[in-house]
Amino acid sequence: MALQDKYKELINAASAAGVQNLQVREQDNVLYIDGEAATGQIKDNLWAIYNKIDPDFRAGDLIMNINVSAMAAGARAKVTTASSNLNIRKGPGTDQPIVGKAEHNSTVTLVSKMNDQWWLVRTDQGEEGYAYAQYLAVQ
Amino acid sequence: MNRLNFKILVVGLLFSTGVYVTSCKSKTKDESTQASADTTAVTPVPSAPVEIAADDALTTGVKDATKDHPGVNATVNNGEITLTGNIERSKLPDLMQTLNSLKPKKINNQLTIK
Repeated sequence: MALQDKYKELINAASAAGVQNLQVREQDNVLYIDGEAATGQIKDNLWAIYNKIDPDFRAGDLIMNINVSAMAAGARAKVTTASSNLNIRKGPGTDQPIVGKAEHNSTVTLVSKMNDQWWLVRTDQGEEGYAYAQYLAVQ
Repeated sequence: MNRLNFKILVVGLLFSTGVYVTSCKSKTKDESTQASADTTAVTPVPSAPVEIAADDALTTGVKDATKDHPGVNATVNNGEITLTGNIERSKLPDLMQTLNSLKPKKINNQLTIK
């Protein structure tokens, strides 16, 4: 219960923001918070609170997995790489061959979700393949 | 006919009153049971255990996640991810978000922040 007290502000914020299927579990001195936020902004806000309570995520006592429900098949997502173009790969893994590129700041269509890390996407040029979810944001 | 209608009405009224009284009784009973359950909460609601990914899946996921962070080294052991090396503070949240989504048991962040 001590960890739930430590991260109380975070848990309350997740509840207040309407995070769906919110699960807060403690196991072997690690707190696990899972749920689905409606937007990437809500997720980012929760991560900012996490970083405030545990600066630079040093304590190793929380695993927070918040998915964004706006990331859904059929949605349009912006490529949010720092400056480079996003690799589109044949399969879900960086060991897979690159079959195309999605331009930095361009928009792609989400086709289907492989897992929390990889999405099958289609560019406006018609290229289809797997892209890393971290660099995709539904507007 | 009028007398018959009246009888039906009376029977109906009696019946609905009975139902009403019965439902009231059971409601009161429910509330009292709930109240005592609240005050003597000794059995927490069982929740599913946390799902931890296997080391193979974690290793693959960690490799993908750290590809764009050249200064970061990551090892996986028994569900735990240990990070060493260095990273810019502005890039740390992105890396942590991705690593957290891999379903590890724990993340040991020993990175030097530039």
